[in-house]
Amino acid sequence: MTEEYEICVTSQLSRLAQISEFVAGRALLAGMDEDQAFAVQMAVDEACTNAIEHAYEGHGDGEVHICCFVEDEDFVVRVIDHGKPFDPCSVPEPDVSTPLEERQIGGLGIYLMKKLMDDVEFRFDQALGNQVIMRKRRRA
Amino acid sequence: MEITTTHLKRCDVIALKGRFDSSTAPDLEKAFRASIDADAFRIVVDMGEAEYFGSAAIRALVMAYKECRRFNRGDVRLARVPERIRHVLDLAGIAPLITIYEDPVLAVGSF
Repeated sequence: MTEEYEICVTSQLSRLAQISEFVAGRALLAGMDEDQAFAVQMAVDEACTNAIEHAYEGHGDGEVHICCFVEDEDFVVRVIDHGKPFDPCSVPEPDVSTPLEERQIGGLGIYLMKKLMDDVEFRFDQALGNQVIMRKRRRA
Repeated sequence: MEITTTHLKRCDVIALKGRFDSSTAPDLEKAFRASIDADAFRIVVDMGEAEYFGSAAIRALVMAYKECRRFNRGDVRLARVPERIRHVLDLAGIAPLITIYEDPVLAVGSF
């Protein structure tokens, strides 16, 4: 495992642009191309949105930690919050094949995270809080 | 992030610039709402200058699409969708349902 880079921001949606800039920058420095870096920053953007809107229920006084590192061929990002436990299974997966008129709202963020990354894992423990660990393989 | 709405005879053109994430998607929703409330149900979204379009922005787009098409009164059509955003719309299953034009002039002319 290489060096880990981390930023910590308050749980406000207005911080999303700063988070994206940080993550895209780290992904490019880790050797990802522009398209891969875009996919990673989008997945992280959705993960942080969930942390702020659901775990912290919109309260702006929490903290969201974003850590990036390279492990073997993977670029890995961990998003950590200390809000209420988040159960990803409670969010139904959207059926993207139904007509838009019948499409249910919600669940799209997690769906996109899974599509954009190679692996997405959700963990919760009392001490650390919610953790989303996302991996994307760097193109050879 | 910038949203510019232009009222044309045939339709409204909503031009987007910059990042549309969960913090800025409410402004997009307001822009759609303003057109719809003014009975402008034919809308072209010019995404040529959009850099990012997250799930909250997609939800706002889908809301506008549903509202505009209700009672067959209109439609939402897209123009100049950047490749990466198009890929995301594909993943979300939206790209095949909404008509996308390369040229905003053609999008306007389609109404």
